[in-house]
Amino acid sequence: MLNTATKHQLALQQLTDSALPTGAFAHSLGFETYIERELVSDERSFGLWLDAFISQQLTHSDGLAVRLLYERWDVAELDSLLSASLLPRQVRAASCKMGCRLLEIGAEVFPSAELELYRDLVTTHRAAGHQPLAFAVVARSLGVPLEEALGAYLFAAVTSLTQNAVRAIPLGQNAGQRLLRQAADGVAAAVEQIRHLTPDDFGAVSPGLEISQMRHERQRARMFMS
Amino acid sequence: MSTSSVADAPSPATATRPVRGRLELDIGVRGSRSVASRQFHEGALRVLRPHYLDNSGQVSYVVVNPGGAYLGADLFVLDVEVGDGADLLLTTQSATKVYRTPGSFAEQRMTVRLGEGARLELVPDQLIAYREASYRQRTHITVRPSSCLLMAEVVTPGWSPDGAAFRYEEVRLRNEIQVQSGTGEPELLALDNLLIRPPGGDVTGLGFMEGFSHLGSVIVVDCRVDQALADELHRLTGAYKALSGISLTQTVAGTTGLVLRALSNSTGELNRLLTACANLLRERWYGQGPLNLRKH
Repeated sequence: MLNTATKHQLALQQLTDSALPTGAFAHSLGFETYIERELVSDERSFGLWLDAFISQQLTHSDGLAVRLLYERWDVAELDSLLSASLLPRQVRAASCKMGCRLLEIGAEVFPSAELELYRDLVTTHRAAGHQPLAFAVVARSLGVPLEEALGAYLFAAVTSLTQNAVRAIPLGQNAGQRLLRQAADGVAAAVEQIRHLTPDDFGAVSPGLEISQMRHERQRARMFMS
Repeated sequence: MSTSSVADAPSPATATRPVRGRLELDIGVRGSRSVASRQFHEGALRVLRPHYLDNSGQVSYVVVNPGGAYLGADLFVLDVEVGDGADLLLTTQSATKVYRTPGSFAEQRMTVRLGEGARLELVPDQLIAYREASYRQRTHITVRPSSCLLMAEVVTPGWSPDGAAFRYEEVRLRNEIQVQSGTGEPELLALDNLLIRPPGGDVTGLGFMEGFSHLGSVIVVDCRVDQALADELHRLTGAYKALSGISLTQTVAGTTGLVLRALSNSTGELNRLLTACANLLRERWYGQGPLNLRKH
């Protein structure tokens, strides 16, 4: 019989598999704007963007939201903070689109009372259904410890973005794997950083990432929805 | 939906520090003009005599910091209320300069409430953060669905003696905007949280300042904000030497926010861009002429 740790690891693998149908393949979360401006064009330059994205957006928004949910903050309050702080419209929509898919999948394969509560808030329009919160609600209900949940969530986000970059730039498959291995250090640093953040840090982003996410709305030729 | 736990919790380091300057200003309507119905100041903050820059009835106040600068552990508190139907233009006499704040930080906390049909144009001079400066600015604004808010801001790095920019420790600008409709709990519309911390890593490059030195921001909240306006302002920004982006916030109780961010290498260029946006709205919504801040 599998022990609890193995059980939640298998569940995490399913939740963070890039084949999980949340639609992550459709989002660049702003890096496509850099491709158009020819500032991201190869392995090295995409790695720079990815580092910035991990240390800013994934740390101060997604990661801190996951941590605060684990610390028993009200899910409706965190949902409203994400809707308010994700200022670029496409990024806000991406978080909700992937979050709502995750809530649907979660309800079928990892049902729990907490997940039902969040789904109910979303279906009655009292919450938007953001991806990090949907993930955190499921992970916590499965007994996944916070640090493991954070590492898995961040690395899953990094994996989707890197696969999307491999298709869009394009990069070789091996370059994609090298980027992922390198990004693991950034993810580990982010998990550590998230422990030390205060609620004042919620949603802090750097101007460059945000401007690129906003400019994506007006980009003519694009592969991605964000 | 309560948002107070994030909004109002003072950071432990500042909870007990003395207030270096305090300003309270309530604006109401008398006849066809907006006037101060109450004002109070103490310490290193006050306002100059009000002006009427055009015939619109909008009152204009200039905030003055006679000390000239923000230093370590300085706390400045501003409380502004624009009553139903009143119209206020609030600016500063000169740039906000933050000098060295060793082991501490300077802080400004501002609370603004806008009534039904009330309007505020909040257009301070630029913020300049010098070497070894840490600065936190928290602005907490409550609007009604019928209020009109425009705020514009420029952040400039002060040059250090060796000529390098970005020698400040940290700049945090946190704007929290909520909508009060009816008598219920206010709902959060936008949380604009900007954090630049140069010692934490290279902030000059890709993803951060993109090779630029100056940052400008405009936030508009009004029930007339829509995608067409965002598109129009986007076209307008094309005429300036800046990298800018515009997007709409969520809509809460019928009102929507528009956020513009721009990076450039010049305060002048950013001010022209931000003023052009403000002027378009002044003309379109209020039939007013261009913003002309005669500083007294």
